[in-house]
Amino acid sequence: MTLNFGLRSVRNKLFAGVLVTSLAALLVTGVAMLIYDLRSYHTTQVNDLTTQAELIGRASAAALQFDDRKFAADNLSLLKVRPKVRAAAIYNAKGGLFASYLRAGAASAELPALPDSEGFRVSGDRLHVFKRIVENNEILGTVYLRSEYEFYQRLRNYLAIVLGVSFLALGVSLVLSGWLQASVTRPILDVTGVARHVIERRDFSLRAKKTTEDEIGYLVDAFNDMLAEIERQTQALQTSNRALERQMAERSVAERALRDSERRNRTLVDATTSVVWTADRDKAFAASQAAWRDYTGQSGDECRGAGWRKAFHAEDRAAVESQWAQAELSRKPFECEARLWHGATSDYRFVSVRAAPVLNAENEIVEWIGTVNDIQDRKQAEQEIKRLNAELEARVKERTAQLEATNKELESFTYTVSHDLRAPLRAIDGYSQMLEEDYRVRLDEEGRRLLGVVRNESGRMGRLIDDLLAFSRLGRNPVSAHAEIDMTALAKEVAQELLRDQPPERVRLDIWRLPRARGDKALLRQVWVNLLGNALKYAGSRPRPEILVTGEVNNGQAVYRVADNGVGFDMKYAGKLFGVFQRLHTAEEFAGTGVGLAIVQRVVARHGGSVRADGKVGEGATFTFTLPPGENDG
Amino acid sequence: MDDFRLIEILLAEDNPRDAEMTIRALRKVNFANKLHWVKDGEEALDFLHSTGAYAGRDAGHAPKLILLDIKMPKIDGIEVLRRVKGDERTKTIPVVVMTSSNEEQDLLESYRLGVNSYIVKPVNFPAFVETVASIGLYWMLTNRVPTEK
Repeated sequence: MTLNFGLRSVRNKLFAGVLVTSLAALLVTGVAMLIYDLRSYHTTQVNDLTTQAELIGRASAAALQFDDRKFAADNLSLLKVRPKVRAAAIYNAKGGLFASYLRAGAASAELPALPDSEGFRVSGDRLHVFKRIVENNEILGTVYLRSEYEFYQRLRNYLAIVLGVSFLALGVSLVLSGWLQASVTRPILDVTGVARHVIERRDFSLRAKKTTEDEIGYLVDAFNDMLAEIERQTQALQTSNRALERQMAERSVAERALRDSERRNRTLVDATTSVVWTADRDKAFAASQAAWRDYTGQSGDECRGAGWRKAFHAEDRAAVESQWAQAELSRKPFECEARLWHGATSDYRFVSVRAAPVLNAENEIVEWIGTVNDIQDRKQAEQEIKRLNAELEARVKERTAQLEATNKELESFTYTVSHDLRAPLRAIDGYSQMLEEDYRVRLDEEGRRLLGVVRNESGRMGRLIDDLLAFSRLGRNPVSAHAEIDMTALAKEVAQELLRDQPPERVRLDIWRLPRARGDKALLRQVWVNLLGNALKYAGSRPRPEILVTGEVNNGQAVYRVADNGVGFDMKYAGKLFGVFQRLHTAEEFAGTGVGLAIVQRVVARHGGSVRADGKVGEGATFTFTLPPGENDG
Repeated sequence: MDDFRLIEILLAEDNPRDAEMTIRALRKVNFANKLHWVKDGEEALDFLHSTGAYAGRDAGHAPKLILLDIKMPKIDGIEVLRRVKGDERTKTIPVVVMTSSNEEQDLLESYRLGVNSYIVKPVNFPAFVETVASIGLYWMLTNRVPTEK
């Protein structure tokens, strides 16, 4: 409403302005013109009448000189052509009326009895003029003219005209101002309407329509710009508000977290066994360090500033200080071990000192927060462990030395076995042979048989010793398990050698394609010799001995199988098969020392593989072993 | 056997049984009478250097073959081998190590020292006889050595 009032006020002001301006202009103009007109009327009338009087005076000078009243009266009667002149008179030099003229209807009283001094006089609606008649510097008489003086009438007429014109001008002004108002106030009203909408709806996207290119248009533009600016700022404000709200929310969360954290920290400090302390940026202790005081017995004044140093063992102070100084340079936490005075026990105890700098946003150290942890017990335990370790190491060394000595003994034992057992055996064999050679004729059949048994047994013992030695050597010599071996070729080569003594058409030995393996060729050759030899031996008694060798790569391992259709074995003895000197058959049934499979197992095991036997009495046996595969078959 | 000039084979063997069997084997190829048997390493070196009990022997007449057992009292066969091959006077004499030991380290050490042949004595007597006889034949008849000055 105030806006309406304001607008109305603007309109009224405009109206009033136009009105006042118009009226003022009219009045000033009217008055000016009136004054001018009245002045000029007055001047004109006076001059005119004075001139008339002069003329009459001149014309009547002679009449006066000659006292010709008639002539003078005739001159005056000429005034008939001047209807405005109501009365006229000529007075002689003595002031006596000489001639007169009265217009019809005029009373003689209108003539003054005596002439006045020269000049004019206005009385009411009459103008009186007295004019001296001078001839040759001699006053002859005076002319008197009295005329209608229409000053007030003229004034009235004039005022009426001015009023009429004023009213007319007012009307025109009203019409004009109405039109002006329309062209000026409509855009303003538009702007006002938009402003009202903006205020009522708080919608800053509204815009006033620009209809003119004048100041109002500029105003509309400015208003629109202002609205746009307000809209922008409002949006910015809203965005800012939202951000602020979010920040407030975050802050309240953070504050809660901070409070929680503080509470936790307090609880932690209370609960921890660590001595928690703080120092200022210059590594000086503040006076109150309750935990420090409790541990070291240093009073607040004693530990204040650099006083804390005295609580450390004299030999450790430099180390702590240098560590701390380094941490100060790098602005990083530090940790060191040192001996700290323990007030309660009046002794130094090993502690772990840790401290971290608290940095401000400029990465400057504000203060230090640190802990001291008693590690005396741990230190003692560590020393104990070290001592025990050292002891253990010494014992291991001792045991290793013992073991090495034992190994050496074993080696010399096998050496002795190989040498010392063979020599008598050779002697037994040799001398029984010599006996046979030299005393053959004196021995009967039984004597020769007994000698034969002696020689047989000595030979078997020799083989036992050889096998035993070979087996024990396997345990000592390192395996060169890096060579890539063509197992198919190796198995075929061994099979050929073994079959050399057999009629080939009797035995059927098939070797399929086998995966390559990595290992020690000489040892793996022995494996084939022993397994294929075994198979030939135990299948040899069959009418149609059949041996099949197969292989594949399985689970990253090369797997080999040697299957025969020989006498087989009882699975319950499968475990005994690979033991040294373990045999499932008597020497009469099948020759052998019982070391072959033990060697196979040891060789395979030393290659990281495994070996197993499957069999059934009378139906043959299958030996399976695994080895690391070759690159190509990997 | 006092005339050592006839001696062409020196047998160093502490075991009399092995020595007898070796001599018997060599007899079969008629080398037995040219053989001198010493019972340990010390005696073998004395013989070769004409020292000790062999002080009177003509050191210039070296045997054509040394059959050397490894395991012997006093000075063992490896040491004898080292000294024989380390001595300018004896280094050209062929040395055949005959041992019961099948030890790899003995074999390696012997070859390192310059042994001419390394034999593991077979337990089986016929094989033993065969081996010793063939050694005798080979080194005494087939093989050629630098002629003495």
